Amino acid sequence: MPKCTINGKEVEVKEGTTIIEAMYKNKDSIAHYCYHPGLSVAGVCRLCMVEIEGNPRVQIACNTTITEGMKINNTSQKVKDATKWGLDFHLINHPLDCPICDQAGECGLQDQYMEFGKYDPEMAEKKQKKHKVVDLGPTVVLDSERCILCSRCVRFTDEVSKTSELGLFNRGDRTEIGTVEGVQLDNKYSLNVVDICPVGALTSKDFRFRQRVWYLKDSETVCTGCSTGCNVKVYFNKEGMFRVKPVFNEQVNGHWMCDEGRDIYKFTNKEVRLLKAKKGQGGNWTEMAPGAAAKELSASLKSAAGDSMALVLTAQYTVEEYEAIVSTFVNTFKTKKIFFWINNKETFETFDGLLLRGDKNPNTKGLLKTLEKHGITASWGDLTAGIANGSIKTVVVAGPENQAVFPDMKDRINELSKAQNLIWMQAGSNDQLAALKGNVTLIPLKTFVEKDGTFINHQGLEQKFKRATTIVSEALTLDQAASLLAGQEIKIAVPAKVETFVETNRRPDEVMLEHRKKNEFVFKRGSL
Amino acid sequence: MESKLLTEFYHLDEFRGIEGYKKNGGYVELAKALKMQPQQIIDEVKASGLRGRGGAGFPTGTKWSFLPKNGEPRYLLCNADEGEPGTFKDRLMMERAPHQLIEGMIISAFAIGSKKSYIYVRGEYHYPISVLEKAIREAYDAGLLGKNILGSGFDHDMDVYSGAGAYICGEETGMISSLEGAKGQPKLKPPFPAVQGYLRKPTIVNNVETLAAVKYIIRDGAAAYRKHGTEKSPGTKLFSLSGNVMKPGNYEVPLAYPLIDLINKEGGGMKPGRKLKAVIPGGSSAPVMTAAEVEKATLDYECLAGMGTMLGSGAVIVIDDSQCMVDMLGVLTHFYHHESCGQCTPCREGTGWLNKIVHSILEGKGRLQDIELLEKVADNMKGRTICALSDAAALPVLSFVSKFRDEFEFYVREGRSKVKGTTYAEMHH
Repeated sequence: MPKCTINGKEVEVKEGTTIIEAMYKNKDSIAHYCYHPGLSVAGVCRLCMVEIEGNPRVQIACNTTITEGMKINNTSQKVKDATKWGLDFHLINHPLDCPICDQAGECGLQDQYMEFGKYDPEMAEKKQKKHKVVDLGPTVVLDSERCILCSRCVRFTDEVSKTSELGLFNRGDRTEIGTVEGVQLDNKYSLNVVDICPVGALTSKDFRFRQRVWYLKDSETVCTGCSTGCNVKVYFNKEGMFRVKPVFNEQVNGHWMCDEGRDIYKFTNKEVRLLKAKKGQGGNWTEMAPGAAAKELSASLKSAAGDSMALVLTAQYTVEEYEAIVSTFVNTFKTKKIFFWINNKETFETFDGLLLRGDKNPNTKGLLKTLEKHGITASWGDLTAGIANGSIKTVVVAGPENQAVFPDMKDRINELSKAQNLIWMQAGSNDQLAALKGNVTLIPLKTFVEKDGTFINHQGLEQKFKRATTIVSEALTLDQAASLLAGQEIKIAVPAKVETFVETNRRPDEVMLEHRKKNEFVFKRGSL
Repeated sequence: MESKLLTEFYHLDEFRGIEGYKKNGGYVELAKALKMQPQQIIDEVKASGLRGRGGAGFPTGTKWSFLPKNGEPRYLLCNADEGEPGTFKDRLMMERAPHQLIEGMIISAFAIGSKKSYIYVRGEYHYPISVLEKAIREAYDAGLLGKNILGSGFDHDMDVYSGAGAYICGEETGMISSLEGAKGQPKLKPPFPAVQGYLRKPTIVNNVETLAAVKYIIRDGAAAYRKHGTEKSPGTKLFSLSGNVMKPGNYEVPLAYPLIDLINKEGGGMKPGRKLKAVIPGGSSAPVMTAAEVEKATLDYECLAGMGTMLGSGAVIVIDDSQCMVDMLGVLTHFYHHESCGQCTPCREGTGWLNKIVHSILEGKGRLQDIELLEKVADNMKGRTICALSDAAALPVLSFVSKFRDEFEFYVREGRSKVKGTTYAEMHH
């Protein structure tokens, strides 16, 4: 374990540690663009300069391994000059189009300029023009003129997705990132290149121009796209959710997430949600508050308690919710007719070798654990037979939250709607359910961003997550629904309207969302 | 005075073919070397003090000894990319004496334990490529390449690889990238090629002239080789003399030969009516010397380094008093801007910036502060990149500006050349 001194502090590091890794660990500030801890070292941005005692030249920290007794600093005037010039070289041909750049507000170039730059530019010549709005593939757009050629994206496609769609073309300051003719940036992890792009060169077609990032709040949670359980950050404001990005977790997802997972915000937004409970009889629907609807059902459910009732669960809810609903059915309604609705049976066990798993549920392990705990052994065949022979009269369904990954949704609705009473609880609206003519109650549930809970991923790792925001304030969590169905009184804290976008530490001079909304032209222009 | 080791038989056309080459002592040293222990050859090359003739001047034997003791395959790459402006010695060697290179390469390959070598030739060198290909075929037919060479049990295969014509592929790791089929871009060091080179295997990269010289070290022995040149710069070297001299061409002289003698004796002196103004002594990337400095210079690594310049590839570019230094720098900055691989930011952006500033001056739009800016930009490109191209672009700028500042200042003030009295447009049209 070599010991070294970094900016006057003695640090002990593992054998083979580079200076930049040690500085990161030590929380020392160091400028860099091309270095990314999840990729190989390129050493091309030449910003992470450090001075090593005994060496007349400044060195790059990303490709220099620490040796015993090394004395390193990146605070000397020599290093500051090198960094300043490094930034200057990056900026001379970079457009100053921050007001229209999608990355403004989270741009590495802006950040580093503010931290290490702040000088008068000396470039008086015309900037090098490059290509604008290059369509790289189904998910990503490149604005080549903003690219600082850190090569992170190229290395990502070479080393992580192993699809090698991207390359560096041409030479000198005419160099551009691109794909060869006939090839598109089209892989299951393509949007990671947008995350790792330190400037606004690579932008997501889905997010591009939809929001300025300073109007967004973010919160860490767990991706519900599959059983990997990637750690992610969701970005939202009063208007809803806008994007999902990965958060580093060495045990689970490293630095990355898949493109499919990035779509999970789409089923949380109001436009696709069931906003009120609906009670249907013969095709006539009555809207109710969800809590009231659940409470109203409790009397009839209690009186029908026993094996004439069945509960169908999907693996998209939290451990806490499963415990609540399963124990309600077992203990209050005295039935063990609880069934696991498995989606994608054929591909359930598949794995792409990186992150994506065929089990498109975040909490299969959590559900199975709860079922096992309560001694539930019922199989789907029992349910089908029970409905067909009339022994099962009431079916309560919870889920799915993400209907897009349940290809058999239509068939299951047909199958389960044959029961005399159907109570279907889920977050999203569904036209087929809304068209049912029987005795049906639909109850809106909250999505993963609106509740606290625990998911257990494919490897058995329990991951707790916190509520990020509230989108449909009246919707219930599954445990709240369970309590109400059991006839218990509960207090539902309906957040005040402002709670959906609680602004803290807002600068007095910051432009307010409300002010922006007044600019109708900008607001209604939509995405390009 | 010419001390001819390498070029003794270059005047003979027959030296190009295998029979003529053998008639004049060809492949004798190969047979001798194959009877030696590989380590003996490495030791002999080390003792000779032979320094790489491609530009960097790194001791060849020392480079060979960086190879890991065990592990195969290992590769020998001959750097025949020769892209440095002013340098044309390797072309001559390949055209006039291909077997000399091949013999030197087989001996070197035997010494380092390589069974496969490539000669990486710049793509523009069509003729040398065809000459080398023919010579390699002859060597295979004569049992000098392939399996069990001269019954020694040593196997070796050799190929010629034609580059796509990028200057930076002359840099050893850029060349390796190109040979691997990737864009010709230098790689981060460490790891050095001797440890992880071509296809991530131990690799030695040597210049044409370096490898050819190995034959003569085996022939005469290290001590005899050291009789040429100086203690730190032993041996002979080919110098490519160009510019406004009477007899431009390649001249083999011992290292430490006076530069002024190369110009006046070998090169026949300046063209009538012209005076020596400056010399770039080691290819276009070497800092320029004034006429006064040239008088004192000898052509060896130490002397030129001591004078703030370098021997480089040995390309002596002679500049006479009719040349505008601002215009010449415009040519150089254009070249390095065009050839920067685009990988490291200071070089990618800096070479373009330098070129824009110099051309802004040439077009009469320069500001006095641009001269200082040129120095600042160049100074901050030096030593900040993966390879030396950034330095190669910066060093001429710094030396041109510091040694001929009056010409730059005049150009900025007057919008025309001090030497030629004309504008850039008038100069070139």
